[in-house]
Amino acid sequence: MKTLSLRNLGKTYFDPYAGAHVTAVHDVSLDVEPGEFISVVGPSGCGKTTILNMIAGFIPYSKGDILLDGKPVHGPGPERGVVFQSFALFPWKTVLDNVGFGPKMRGVPKAERDRIAREYLALAGLSHAAHRYPNELSGGMQQRVGVVRALANNPDVLLMDEPFASVDAQTRMTLQEELTRIWQERKPTVIFITHDVPEAVFLANRVVVLSKGRVLDQIAVDLPRPRVWDELVKDDQFKQLSARVLQMVRAA
Amino acid sequence: MNLMLQIWAGYARLTRRWPGFAAIIPFIPVLALWTAVSEAGLFPRAFFPGPADVLRAFVTLTYKGILPDYLQDSLIRLATGAAVGMALGIPLGILIGTSRWAHRICWPVLLFFQAIGDIAWLPILLIWFGFGLTTMTFVIVYTVLFPVVLNTVLGVGSVPRDLSRAALSLGASRARVLWEVTLPAALPNIITGLRNGLGYGWRALIAVEMIVGTSGIGFMMFDARRAGSTVEIILGMIILGLLWYIVDAWILAPLERATGQRWGLVTS
Repeated sequence: MKTLSLRNLGKTYFDPYAGAHVTAVHDVSLDVEPGEFISVVGPSGCGKTTILNMIAGFIPYSKGDILLDGKPVHGPGPERGVVFQSFALFPWKTVLDNVGFGPKMRGVPKAERDRIAREYLALAGLSHAAHRYPNELSGGMQQRVGVVRALANNPDVLLMDEPFASVDAQTRMTLQEELTRIWQERKPTVIFITHDVPEAVFLANRVVVLSKGRVLDQIAVDLPRPRVWDELVKDDQFKQLSARVLQMVRAA
Repeated sequence: MNLMLQIWAGYARLTRRWPGFAAIIPFIPVLALWTAVSEAGLFPRAFFPGPADVLRAFVTLTYKGILPDYLQDSLIRLATGAAVGMALGIPLGILIGTSRWAHRICWPVLLFFQAIGDIAWLPILLIWFGFGLTTMTFVIVYTVLFPVVLNTVLGVGSVPRDLSRAALSLGASRARVLWEVTLPAALPNIITGLRNGLGYGWRALIAVEMIVGTSGIGFMMFDARRAGSTVEIILGMIILGLLWYIVDAWILAPLERATGQRWGLVTS
């Protein structure tokens, strides 16, 4: 496990329609410790997805540095796993082959990567769906596959871009609880992008509030785990934290 | 009313058991009309033969071995043309679909040459290559090429960006992304292109065989014109339609469904 550091990260691009340079991310510095779960919240247009795309290496950054264990990163790589809002499962591959894709790219033999994939599917309670195709699964199940597909590759950092935004409210709560459970079992380093404040607080050790391409504030969340919605909705500390973050996001 | 329902139920059961019947039944009135017109003697028999005459010609020509030979020639030409057309078209389509520069350079040229129809090449091809296999193959390849290239470009262009990104962040190299993501995602479109290409190619082949041919179904039909044999001409026409139906409905369409629909890429 390695430390991820963002140093004065910035992104400016030229918008040909506006005919001007637009700065999506001004100056963001952030350190993420191994095994930390960080939520990044902020109003739309605050640059949170841009930051995630830069860390993932999908888009280049204009200034500053992204360091993983002290070394700068450029372009996508398997040490930074990504979970997409659109799930992005390969529709022509079975669930098993989707989860085994990362190990396959590393050259892991078929039998071994099937074993790995089954282990991770069991972690998400999806063993029964191993031989089904993504379009045969519900949205919630598809995103479970998306999460374990990224985890099965053992990334140093797991980047999640509003992964539960497109599933229904009840399923979302279940997925959030499952994610905290999986995180406790495996302790991956997670950066979780969302605009849903209770979600951010529920999941994270630390909530980073962004505004207009800058870090507005960081709030530590030391709620006990395992976290369960039935309990947390009644929990005063959770309510206070959520209210505080929500206030910041709305004022941002 | 009851009888109608029973007929309908019988039809539903029959076509479920033998789906081929559903395709044959609509031709029954066509055949009946044809028989009626030819039997009514409105036109001279040699001018407008009936189904029975054509069937007889079919049996005779098959027995003599002419029809199987010609059919084989035509199909081999089509298959060769299609194979070469795909071998050129799919890589070209992927190149144009993935590289902005290749797209800028090739696209206008492609559209220009697409406008020059297959048959429009014949005069110059006949001078260059003469009346032979090269000319025929060129035309088929040319006809198959464009639908394959254009549909491949379309397919490559419509690969969801997140799928390529997912593969890259799971450790795939650019080459692996091409093989593991771009190609399978574009496959339904490529098959659609092949399906269109073969359809055009089949028609172009018959036209070319008429002009260039020394054998083949097109040649048979054009040769029959010289002998004034309407029976053979109509037989040729029926074979063209029938054969295409078989290739399209039994091979290409199921292939298209098997890829696109199973993966949920095509909403059926």
